[in-house]
Formats: sequence, structure tokens, C-alpha cells
Amino acid sequence: MARISIDDDVRRNDAIEKASGLARYASDYFFPDMLYARMLRSKAPRGKIRKIQTPVLPYGYYFISAKDIPENGRNALHMISEDWRCFADGDVRYVGETIGLFVGPERSVLESLERNTYVEIEEEEPAISIDDAINVKGGPILEKDDVFCQLYCQKGRDMDEVFGEADKIIEETFETGFQEHVHLETNGAVITKEGEKYVLYISCQCPFYVRKSISIVIGAKDEDIVVRQSTTGGAFGGKEHFPDVLAGPLLVAEYVIGKPIKLIFDRREDMLYSVKRHPSKIWYKSAIKDGKLTGVKGKIYYNAGAYLSSSYVVLQRGVFHANGVYDIPSTYLEGFGMATNTFPSCAFRGFGAPQTLFAIEMHLTHIARRIGVDPVEFKRSMFLKKGSETVTNGHIVENVVLGSMLDDIATASDYWRKSREYGYGSGRGIGMSFYNHGGAFTGNGEQAIIKAHARLKKTGERVTIEVGSTEMGQGFQTTLRKIAAAVLEIPMENVDYPNPDTSVVPDSGPTAASRSTMIVGRLIERCAVEMKERWGEGDFSVEKEYEHPDGHPWDQSTFRGDAYLGYGWGACCVELEVDKRTNEVKVVGIWSSHDIGKAIDEKIVHGQINGGIIQSLGYASMEKMENKNGHFRQESMSDYVIPTSMDFPKQEYFLEDNPYEWGPFGAKGMGELVFNGADAAYVDALERALGVETFKIPLPSEDIEEALRKNGR
Amino acid sequence: MDEVKCFIPKSLDEALRIRKEFHAKPLAGGSDLMVSYYKGIGIAPVFPFPVMIISNLSDELGTIRKEDDGVHIGALSTPNEIASSMVVPYPVRKAASLMGAPSLRNTATIGGNIGNASPKGDLPQPLILLDAEVVLRSVDGERRMKVDDFILGSKKTALADDEIITGIVIPEVKATHYFYHKIGMRRANAISKLSLSALFDVEDGVVVDFRASSGAAGPKVRRSRDAEEILIGLKLDEVSGKTGEFLSAWNSILSPHAMPEYRRASTRRMLLGFIEEVASGALPGNYE
Repeated sequence: MARISIDDDVRRNDAIEKASGLARYASDYFFPDMLYARMLRSKAPRGKIRKIQTPVLPYGYYFISAKDIPENGRNALHMISEDWRCFADGDVRYVGETIGLFVGPERSVLESLERNTYVEIEEEEPAISIDDAINVKGGPILEKDDVFCQLYCQKGRDMDEVFGEADKIIEETFETGFQEHVHLETNGAVITKEGEKYVLYISCQCPFYVRKSISIVIGAKDEDIVVRQSTTGGAFGGKEHFPDVLAGPLLVAEYVIGKPIKLIFDRREDMLYSVKRHPSKIWYKSAIKDGKLTGVKGKIYYNAGAYLSSSYVVLQRGVFHANGVYDIPSTYLEGFGMATNTFPSCAFRGFGAPQTLFAIEMHLTHIARRIGVDPVEFKRSMFLKKGSETVTNGHIVENVVLGSMLDDIATASDYWRKSREYGYGSGRGIGMSFYNHGGAFTGNGEQAIIKAHARLKKTGERVTIEVGSTEMGQGFQTTLRKIAAAVLEIPMENVDYPNPDTSVVPDSGPTAASRSTMIVGRLIERCAVEMKERWGEGDFSVEKEYEHPDGHPWDQSTFRGDAYLGYGWGACCVELEVDKRTNEVKVVGIWSSHDIGKAIDEKIVHGQINGGIIQSLGYASMEKMENKNGHFRQESMSDYVIPTSMDFPKQEYFLEDNPYEWGPFGAKGMGELVFNGADAAYVDALERALGVETFKIPLPSEDIEEALRKNGR
Repeated sequence: MDEVKCFIPKSLDEALRIRKEFHAKPLAGGSDLMVSYYKGIGIAPVFPFPVMIISNLSDELGTIRKEDDGVHIGALSTPNEIASSMVVPYPVRKAASLMGAPSLRNTATIGGNIGNASPKGDLPQPLILLDAEVVLRSVDGERRMKVDDFILGSKKTALADDEIITGIVIPEVKATHYFYHKIGMRRANAISKLSLSALFDVEDGVVVDFRASSGAAGPKVRRSRDAEEILIGLKLDEVSGKTGEFLSAWNSILSPHAMPEYRRASTRRMLLGFIEEVASGALPGNYE
């Protein structure tokens, strides 16, 4: 066993247990006398519940609903706000809303009970789309309208003046669709009691979120509930808040029944009845003077669904990324989170940034083409630099190396020649996009809300990492062990990092927002530096609290200042061919360059880049989730398709070495960044191949046909 | 609790007797039936009819061989076996190779794919192009009928309640040019949105035979001998003059309900492309 240095090539610590089937997922937990649970869900998007009639329950079977919430409890899940109910009570607000939980020993009996339960709902007209919500279809969902949340930010001069001086004004609207996470492991949890404490084994990203969210349902203290993360097979944001929706009803059932209870969604349930990425509608109006972009006005609408959940924060990130990676002299950007009667939208890799980044990239691409400049040349002239003012009147504090990233992928892909030679509408196209992602929580979240703690514990020659951060397939258990071992100069095998248990580890904040390596990794690095100095002292622990770097002013009430501590940056190039007979698209090359400060583990980083880019290409091309009258139309992995390894070619990657002052070994966040831009490069290339402009994603072959027809081709 | 009557016959004779007495539905790979009657994790599917698991009869029903009257494919042959057998004509091989993922291609069977009669099934379409016959056996004997006649509509077949599909026979087909193309929602492991097969047999510059069939195009695979006749007998340099007439005749057999504009237009462009290629003297071979 050798000491490790940070650039060593290592094997992921979870590789063998996952490949061999040893890893224990939520569905692998069994307890004596364990019961199963099955949800009774709303089949209507909006209406009053008139009657719930279950069949006669056989001995040992239970039906748990809002009536079982104790008097000192509240029918609410405490996510960011408390609006999402544990159980629907009196009315339903979306298809799939939890009405009750059947619990008992045989799953086939539970299925039959659920199927034979009669729920009478007096249906009301639902609002499904963003337009429905703008028009307050069916009457207001909220007090007076369907606007959950809104914000604006302004930079530069008065927009009327800017548009008054313009010699060209271009206005466009873009739309993006729902996206389903399709994590490998569906949602699931098992609850049991140990003494007086409720213990949850749950597939989740944020054990402390689950604890906080559900304790109020039975009026318990946070400490009365112990959350142990079960090995989690993928998340992508879908297990940031959504596990609370399983955990809340399970806790009420456990409170009533007192036996171990297991609830595992099958794939159909996970597709139809789980959170999705926010669909968006984004309007931009741009002023151009002397071939230069002088100002952009934007209105950004996100479909939040029936409950607020994390949507206000998602919307903020969307608005703060709505200028892309460009220093636009004047901007006025407004965002609206719309309440509808669809399944609530929630976190998904990128967290609101991908929608606006896609729209601004396409908008600038269209402007460039209309004024006769190569889009890449046009965009390059506006790249943000160190010191540039952001749309929230803060400043870019790091060196931005987008120019050399562009050069790397342009050379590797032969972009300039191909861009010149491939004719518009020739069936071949090459496109490029640029993007960023603000690291860690938006605004003052890290110092004001999370205040993360992390701990290292030394026992003999072994060291244990104690944090609330989770491994969900992204490689964090390997990354964090590598950071600790490299600082301590000990073998990685001597560092343990078990799945977190909220009764043991300090709260290091949610595993979200690309903050784990940057924030928690930094905390563990600081713990390890101290531990190394005191190594001879025997067994002891070192715990550190988050310290906010100086020079990042932020006012949460006005959204002014540095919205993020630093950004990851990306550039992506996609080349493709379109079969003119069938509109099938064949991607023939993918090149990307990313600035993530420093790669802690290059193999893991490549895995993230590969997966993030393919996921973004799926979002742009084939991942179509439609909602008709509140019902998702795609319910299986054969009608909602995600890319396979046959769909896209091998990628070529570049990484910029640009160490970040406050990250461990110079690392910044990267898990979301790599999702944020390949979609726009793909659509840019596709538009060149087809010779038409498009305004929405996804674009499967049928929609390409429609776009061509609209343009008279 | 609901119970399912389930048999596991040890020989084809036994299976035929069970079929006659209990009308048990044969379950081979299970890749359609188990999915159709899936009820949830940890819940056994409940079939509303008796079933017999025939997957261990592959000695009797799992071979692929060439005989005087054509290529015989046993009903339990899997897509992988079909795709890798060089005696099977190109469009059937190609269709088999594009079905599902590797696990499905090792599990599903040609008998099941035909018996299930899904409009999106991959194998019936090229089989109908080739005028293949399905072999049906009961304790009383054996009969054969064209796959096109056997499949009556979506999920409907002419199978009698005492019969089992034992195999497929593809008669010898003379062709110089084959075409097969499947459009799914992605490049692999996708259910067919649209599939098209076509063939030309060209001798001394004359079209001796021409056929086309279209899958996922409605309740049944679409083929029209009348439309095909428009091109048969023409010299290659006369073909492009008649292509328009053929395409309109072809278009008229497609159901507008089942074939929205994209699929209709793609089918038309693929046919046009293949016909033009052959008419302009393309070398014999397989096209996609």
C-alpha cells in the first residue's frame, strides 16, 4: 500500500462492490416482520376530493393518510418552503399526488387494494403549460395568480435608450421541455425503529434534508429521526428533495404501525410520479449597433408544477446565467416561476442554468448569422473576463481562459475550415457552444444557510471521513478519500468514508450545486492539514466549519453582488450529418474543453464529462416527455428514451489547468457544468445542416420534419 | 389469491396435447408476455389464461436450416441466432440484428414475435416482403399459411386454439438488391417507429421482381402487389418515369391515421432513394 499523491491514477473505491453486486441498495434491506407500502395517488390534476373508499382491509393491512398525522404534526414537507403536502387532503393539485399509503405484508395484495380503491374527485380545469399559467387557466392556483416567485436584475444603461440607439433589434422565444432523470436506481426507502428513534435507510443525495423535511410531519425533533443513506444508484438532482415525498408518508405509517416498512418505486412509478426538469419559455430581445450587441432584455418563465419545492432557487440560477458567458453592456432580465397542475419540477443537473444557457447561445447564434458573422467569432468578441461585471452587478473574480479553450477545440475539430466549407442546408454541420456554471450555492447560501461542517477522525493509522455528503455515482467517496490521503500522505486504503448517518456525521450540507468537491473537499483538506501536523497525538478528531472567502459581497434582498464564488467554464463542439430521407441525425464528432480549476481525479472527471455531454445531447435530441391534461405520456424506458453508447461517438476532451484559490488542490465544481452546453452546440450544428432556424428542444426526427416544413422545405 | 395454471411440457407432442386440452398459451422468451402482464416489483404476473413454458423445446423448435422449399426457421430461434445465420435472407437478418438490446436478442423468439402480432414487431415486416409462411401444428396435423394472412391485425392472428407456431419457412427469393431500414427513437434498443424493406431483382437491365413492405405503418404490415406491378417488367431506364405512379399507389395503401406525415414522408423518400439508386445502375447488394 503506497502513499498517494493527488495526480495518481486510482481505482474507484466502489467499483468492485457495485460491479459484483455486493453494494446494498434500499431494496436490499430486509428486517424481521417487515411490511411493504404502496402509494395511492391522484389520477386527476386538479379537483376536490369527495370520497375515498378503500376495499375492506384484510387483517394486518393499513391505509395511512392525512388523518393519521398526529395533532402536533403538520401535513407539510419542509423543503425550502413548507408548501408540498405529505398527503393530499381535501383537494388534489397534480396527477400522482400522494393521497394515502397502503401498508401490509404482501405486495400483490397492496396492488389489488390500490387498484380497487375508489377515489371520487370533482375535477376542475387544470393549468398545465406555462401559457396556461400566464393566462390563469381554470382560475388562480395561488391567491391571485399562478406566479410562485419572480425576480429581476439589471445591469448597465436604461434599456429604452439602448433599444432607441440600436440599428437592429432581434426578438426570439425559445422553449425547452421536461426532462426525466432516469437514474439507474429508482426511488426507494425503508423505515424502522431503533428504541425511540425512527431510522430511515433511503436512496438520497441529502440525508439532512430528509431529516429536516419530515420531522415536522409528526412533530418530532430532528434528532428523533436518523437518516442513513443507502448506496444510491444515481440521482442527477432527482434525489435532492424528492426522497422526502417517500419519507414523509413512511414516517406517518411507522408512527402508526411501528413495524419496518419498505417502499420501492418501480420504473413506471419513477417515470410517471417523480420530479422533472423545469420546462421553460424564454424570450429575448436584443439591440445591435454597428454589428455589436449592446443590450439584451429577457423574460424567463419556468414551469414549477404544483408546489414550489426548490423552484425559486432554480429560477434565480436560471436568471443569473441568462447572459451566458458574455459581457453584454446592458441587460434587464426577469424571471417567473409559474405554478401549474403538473408534477412539481425540481432539481436536475444544472439546476435552472441549462435552460437559459441554451436559449442565449441559440439567440446569439441566430443574431450572428443574421448579421453575417461566424457565430463563434461573434461570441468570442464578448467573452467575460476577470473583472467583468455580472448581470447581478458583481464581478468575475477569476482568470477566464475561454479563448484558449475555444482554440483547443477549434483546432482539434478543424472548426474554422468546416464552418466555412459546410454549406447552410448541406446535410452536414458543425456547431460550438460556450457555457459556465456558478460553483456552490447561489448568493449567500453557503455562509448564511448551510454553514457546512466536516470532520476527520483518526483511529490508530486509519482515518475516517465524517460528512453528510453522499456518493451517488459521481465518484465523491473516491474524490474525498483521495484529497484526505494526499494531504495526509497515507495510502487511500487507510481512509474510510462510509455512507453518512445523520446521528454520526456533522451536516456538511446537501450533495448538490456542484459544491461537494469545492466546499466539502476544501473542508476535508483543511481538516487533513491540521491532522497531519498533529499526527503523533494518538486518536483524535478534527472538525472544521465553512469560512467564506473575503470579497464576495451579496445582498439577497436585491440580488446584487457576487452570485457565485467562482465559475466552471466550458466549450463544446459537435459535428453531425443528417439523413435527408429520414431526418435521422448522426453525430460524428464531439470535442470539449473545461476549466474546472483542477481535476482531483482525471478518470472520474472524464466520466462526468462523457456522461454530462451525452445527457445534454439526449435532452436536445431525443428525450421527449409530454404532458397531456396533467398526465405524462411517457411511462417507460422504451417510450422515454435516453442515449445509448451506440448513439454518440467517442469524445475528445481537454482540461484547462487554472487552479482556484479556495478549492482543494485548486479544484472547482464540475458535475453540472458538463451538462450545461452540448445541447446548444448540437442544435447549432443541426441548424447549419438543415438550413433552418429552430426554437425548441428536444428535436427528434418528427420535429425536424416540422421545422423543415415550416420553412417551406 | 389469483392463480395461474402453468405447464412445462417436455416434448412438442406433450405441448400439443396441453394446447388441445387447456388452450395454454405458449410462453417462450417471455419478452412480450411478462412485460404485458407486469404488475410491480415483487408481484408475480397473473395471466388471465393458462400458459405453458416451451423454452426448453429448442431441440425440436430451435433450428435454422435450408431445405428444398426454402429456409426453415424454428419458432424458438432467437434474434441473435437469426441475425448470425447466413442462410437467412438479408432483410430478416438485419431486422433481427436491430431488435432490442443483446439480452433481448438472446431471449425473444421469432415464434413469439409473430404470435404477438404487434404492429411494431420487427420480424413480420421483412418476412411478409419475402412471402414467408408460418407453420402451425396441432395434434391433428400441420398447416401452413402466409405470414401476411396469419396476422389479421394488431395483436390478432389466425392461430387456432389448439395450434402452436412451430416455425417459419422463407421460400427461395431471387433478388439482386435488398433494402432494409428501421427508424427507432435512438440507434439501438429502440422500438420501431417505422421500418421499410424492399427488393429488386434485375436481369439484363429489366426489373424481374420488385417488392416493398412497410412496418409500424398501421395495424398490419403494408404491402401491395398491385403497386409493385407498376415497376415490374420495366427496363431500368423506364423506372424513373414510373416512380411517381408507384409512389402514389403506395401512398394510397398507407393508413393516414397510423402514418402521420413524418413517417409517410420518410417512407416515401426512402423508397424513392432506393428505386432511383437501382434505376441508375447501382451494384447488386444490400442497402439501408
